[in-house]
Amino acid sequence: MTLQTENNRLAGWSRRQLLESSGLGLGSLALSGLLADAGQVVAAPTRREKSVSPLIASAPHHPPKAKRIIHLFMNGGPSQFDTFYPKPEVQKLSGKPLPKSISDQLQQTQRKRVGVLFGSPFKFRKYGECGQPVSELFPNVAQHVDDLCIVRSMQGEIANHTPGLLLTNCGHSTLPRPSLGSWMLYGLGNESDELPGFVVLCPKGLPTAQTTNWTSAFLPGIYQGTHIDTETTGKELIPNLTRNDIRTGSQRAQVALTQFLNRRHQNLRPGDERLDSRIHTMELAFRMQTAGTDAFDLEQEPQHIREAYGDSVQGRNMLIARRLSERGVRYVQVYHGAGQPWDNHGSIVPRIKQLCQESDQPIAALLSDLKQRGMLEDTLLIWGGEMGRTPTTQSGSKDVNKVGRDHHIDGYTMWMAGGGIRPGMTYGTTDEFGMKVAENKVELHDLHATILHLMGFDHRRLTYRYSGRDFRLTDVHGRVVNEILA
Amino acid sequence: MTMADSQCLGVEECATGSASVFFGPQDFGEFHWQSQWHTRSKNMVSATPDFSNQKLSTNSLQTMSKFKIVITLLMLSLFQPVVARTADDETGTAFFEKKIRPLLIKHCYECHSEEAEERQGGLLLDRRSGWIEGGDTTKSVIPGEPDASLLIKAVKYQDENLQMPPDEKLKPEQIKLLEQWVRLGAPGPKDDLGDSEFSRLGDQEFLFNQAESHWAFQSVNAGTPPKADHQRWNQNAIDQFVVAKLSENKLTPSMGAEPRTLIRRLTYDLTGLPPSMDDVEQFVAVAEQDRRAATIKTIDRLIDSKTFGEHLGRMWLDVARYADTDSAYRPDTRTPHYFPFAFTYRDYVVDSLNKDKPFDDFVREQFAADLIGFKPGDAEMAALGFLAAGPFANRDPLESLDDLIDVTTRGLLGITVACARCHDHKYEPVPTKDYYSLRGVFASVVRVDSLDEKKQPLVPGYEPSAADLADYEKKRAAIEAKVAKAGSSKAKNNNQSISQKIRETELAELLLFHPGAPARAMRVIDRPRPLEPVVFIRGDAGSPGDTVPRRFLKIIDADQTSFPDDSSGRLQLAERIVDPKNPLTARVFVNRVWGYLMGTYIVDTPSDFGLQGSTPTHPKLLDWLADDFVKHGWSIKHLVRTIVSSQTYQQRSDYREEAARIDSQNKLLWRGNLKHLSIEAIRDSLLSVSRQLDPTPRGHAGQLWEDGYTRRRAIYGYINRFNLDPTLRAFDFPTPVQSQPKRGESIVAPQTLFTMNAPFVIDQTVAITETSEFRDCGTDDERVATLFALIFQRAPAALETERILKFVELQSRFKTPIDLKRRASTWPLVAQSLMMSNEFQYID
Repeated sequence: MTLQTENNRLAGWSRRQLLESSGLGLGSLALSGLLADAGQVVAAPTRREKSVSPLIASAPHHPPKAKRIIHLFMNGGPSQFDTFYPKPEVQKLSGKPLPKSISDQLQQTQRKRVGVLFGSPFKFRKYGECGQPVSELFPNVAQHVDDLCIVRSMQGEIANHTPGLLLTNCGHSTLPRPSLGSWMLYGLGNESDELPGFVVLCPKGLPTAQTTNWTSAFLPGIYQGTHIDTETTGKELIPNLTRNDIRTGSQRAQVALTQFLNRRHQNLRPGDERLDSRIHTMELAFRMQTAGTDAFDLEQEPQHIREAYGDSVQGRNMLIARRLSERGVRYVQVYHGAGQPWDNHGSIVPRIKQLCQESDQPIAALLSDLKQRGMLEDTLLIWGGEMGRTPTTQSGSKDVNKVGRDHHIDGYTMWMAGGGIRPGMTYGTTDEFGMKVAENKVELHDLHATILHLMGFDHRRLTYRYSGRDFRLTDVHGRVVNEILA
Repeated sequence: MTMADSQCLGVEECATGSASVFFGPQDFGEFHWQSQWHTRSKNMVSATPDFSNQKLSTNSLQTMSKFKIVITLLMLSLFQPVVARTADDETGTAFFEKKIRPLLIKHCYECHSEEAEERQGGLLLDRRSGWIEGGDTTKSVIPGEPDASLLIKAVKYQDENLQMPPDEKLKPEQIKLLEQWVRLGAPGPKDDLGDSEFSRLGDQEFLFNQAESHWAFQSVNAGTPPKADHQRWNQNAIDQFVVAKLSENKLTPSMGAEPRTLIRRLTYDLTGLPPSMDDVEQFVAVAEQDRRAATIKTIDRLIDSKTFGEHLGRMWLDVARYADTDSAYRPDTRTPHYFPFAFTYRDYVVDSLNKDKPFDDFVREQFAADLIGFKPGDAEMAALGFLAAGPFANRDPLESLDDLIDVTTRGLLGITVACARCHDHKYEPVPTKDYYSLRGVFASVVRVDSLDEKKQPLVPGYEPSAADLADYEKKRAAIEAKVAKAGSSKAKNNNQSISQKIRETELAELLLFHPGAPARAMRVIDRPRPLEPVVFIRGDAGSPGDTVPRRFLKIIDADQTSFPDDSSGRLQLAERIVDPKNPLTARVFVNRVWGYLMGTYIVDTPSDFGLQGSTPTHPKLLDWLADDFVKHGWSIKHLVRTIVSSQTYQQRSDYREEAARIDSQNKLLWRGNLKHLSIEAIRDSLLSVSRQLDPTPRGHAGQLWEDGYTRRRAIYGYINRFNLDPTLRAFDFPTPVQSQPKRGESIVAPQTLFTMNAPFVIDQTVAITETSEFRDCGTDDERVATLFALIFQRAPAALETERILKFVELQSRFKTPIDLKRRASTWPLVAQSLMMSNEFQYID
């Protein structure tokens, strides 16, 4: 029997059989779409199905607003004061020390490093109908400000990179816990038959905290994120994706031969769905070989699209992100670069200028592109870092081109767009100097609860029993920030 | 199943861990409550209860029958005129507590109680004022007027917009009960939860009470195996217990497996390797004469082979979360913190199993080899790697101590003590003091720096070849020269010591991987004075509470004698773990071995035997095995031999529909299980059938798949805890940051891609066609037969040969340069087809 007839055999299968036998989630979007058209709802897989086929598509708790996430991670911690949150009081007192009443509240270690208030040298202007201010560093993103919900009251826990990254990604600053993307796959299964459901793009290597950022921890390993170095190639998307010493025809014939053996083997062993599942997984794996490389072949994009994103590392980053999302990857996380590029302790002025220049046009292009394709409404876009930066300089140089800002976790800025987020709004404030959250504090657990809510989950009920207790992304915390929902 | 159903809680999960507690016969059946603490829902994947779920099904049956009785009584009472009045306090509240509260807890409290994290609609159903005053919308209950009460409307699903509980409508009899209650005037406690079962979450007195009758905390009771009708099933106690259970359920066991199947099963289960074709033919021939004798002889041969420990050892390494690195890395070099000498612990485990070291000694040595007379220079010092090679560096001390408590209690005792760190355990008889008692033991122990060569003693028995040694010394000298040159200079970008960097990267890598490098024991040392543990209130080191002595768990050691003042108490802890009177240790271990060999466990939660754990499918068998194990001097080989000698183990794995209808999961063992090979066994088999396997035991780790990979067994492969190899991950190898109870079997495309495309696999497909057996073949038919013999240890069927020859013919038409490459030429592709197949990866 050839592959073709094997596929035809599939056509006569019942829905349940399809779900049971899918190795990577055949019962996924494509199928659920078909069935939904036929007036059926895709069944939630049983625990047994799930244990055999952990990526099988599953229904969330409630109808989701967002089907996928693109998380633009400005790792290192971008300065809110130079991008999305103008602070007149800081401008006014620029060059002066923090008022004593405020600096007294700082911890000893912080106080030693604090320099003077540093008003942003970048001009802010109001954009769009909503009139949210954006600095001149993001002229292109600013054109989309009516789509953005800017949260200015993010609250972190520990002012350093690794804890910040872990908290943002995995919900805990120190302990090994599954990442948001892993929870997403655990809860929803994979939408794509041919690609991994959780992909991490990071050019030039790994971000700080490395693979812990996308770990599945105690969730099954299959829910872990797949890292791709977007600077080089997409071939390493999946280990062993292809072999280049064989023509496709030969391999197809070879797989057909194995499947012949498998079916004989299976016929002698009825009543075991695993064997069936493996037979279908082999078909999927065969198809993945082309699909896996296809997603990274930017040559397939028309000229004008490639130009819109720009021929740069960040352009490539964003365009690949869109191509993956389009192909059903649930969670694409895009790091700006290896290490912590936005960590501007020194020379923040020239550096942030460059970082914004690199990413402004590609992010704007991504926003336009998603919108044009009708994807923005069910794609949740998140922009931000693992923390923000201080309104003050770090002690040291007085040269405006050499000064930098220190880590700051009390009231930093992130923005979100699409996927059920209320567009064109600002949420939360900090005090006049941006030292502390003044109103509407959003903790990372709240952000997670909100993201899960948009993806169709009650964060309190998406749990996994491990080591004698039910774990969840938000642990015992988390509040859905209803105010920023559309 | 609908969308709403998918929210329903995983019923089957109850068996493995939800809080289902029986509150005694006087109550209204039993009910299931859920954690009000971390979360109240179970794993979200829903399932239908199946036969395997004995605890649940029996309990449900009891519930149902009681339900019927109560409902009948209630139905009678419904016919009596009921006045709209508040029942007098005592009887009203009793009625509420007995009949209504359980319903509310199960279906409503998740959102409508003081304990609920986000009260929905502002409604509280845990006090009278709650339902009388109502929620945001309106009053929810009007006493005496069920028809006018919102609560009744909601549960009856009368209003499309208000349907409660949202997941699933209550049963008609439950709704009637609620109506009855409202009609009675909706009595209940005024302002607080009262002393209800619900408030008992984490009530240790109550949990200890529960534990008194919990099977796992009872002494092991050997019992007499019931006599089976069939003589063949009467020779091994395992069979007697299994047959008795099968008969109870109107099931019969299966026939013995065919000799060919049996030898393959035995060889894989006992060594993790395939038999050779010769092994098979010989066994088949002898078994024809005397199957029993042939089997016994083969079992003995396999158990005594060096490969035995290399296979079963991996089971223990999963429990012991073994790895060759720490869970942290150096940010500047992006290399993990290496544990260059962890491998001696791995070898210690393998050797101990091969030597049949009694399990109690095995445990003593892992906790306290240095305290029971072993000295630096003794091989047993490597046992301390159990404590020393755990994840460490990126955790604060609190976390690494947590790991030691966890691996000790879940790994050896099957009890989840780590949950009691911030408060008394919510579901198990483990007060938080117990956690800190154990913490005191481990906090009184220091881990030696994994790179400190002075404090880690040499382990005997490793003698590198002269060439390896010379090469190592040369490389080492070069690195030392670099270290010396770096002196005390600091790196410009991060101000860290350059010499330290060289030591932690280049030197550590040399020590870890080089076959000429020394073998040392990762060890721990007691502090000069043990620490007196202090309870941290809510787990916060900043809020110290009471001091507690270092001592054992209260549930097992009721007296809780304090450990002596002059040592950490590691040895005393080990002694209490392996005390034959300890009801958990032997049970937990025999269950692990049973599951490893049989493919299903007697207790399906091998690291959780507590109130939340699964109920054993064969409790008497488990006890008999545990007792027999201890009686035979904790001999693991005896245990293994007893299991694989049983008819139960040796059954055919054929599917029998009539039996499957009763027990689809084969929990009662009416047949053998079809088992998938672990990634280690797959890798070793690929090397073995292509004659590439290097049988050298012990020693420094090698790479598993990368260029220059080792041809030694997978257990000698390098395990990076910080960044676990993706192929291992894809095949369910556990991330070794925490003790792993058992491995799952997932079926995902990356596994297939591995066998299709991995250079490692393709190498073996080429190698197999270069074996003398294959080269000596004269015809294509012979070639097919030889590949079948090597890979499947059987002859091909005519149809199979025919199909393969068709493929060979088809390939011959592709004579273009690309396919002429050796690696992609016809016969390696054929060999790979066989290696990719399910037959290669499953054992019958």
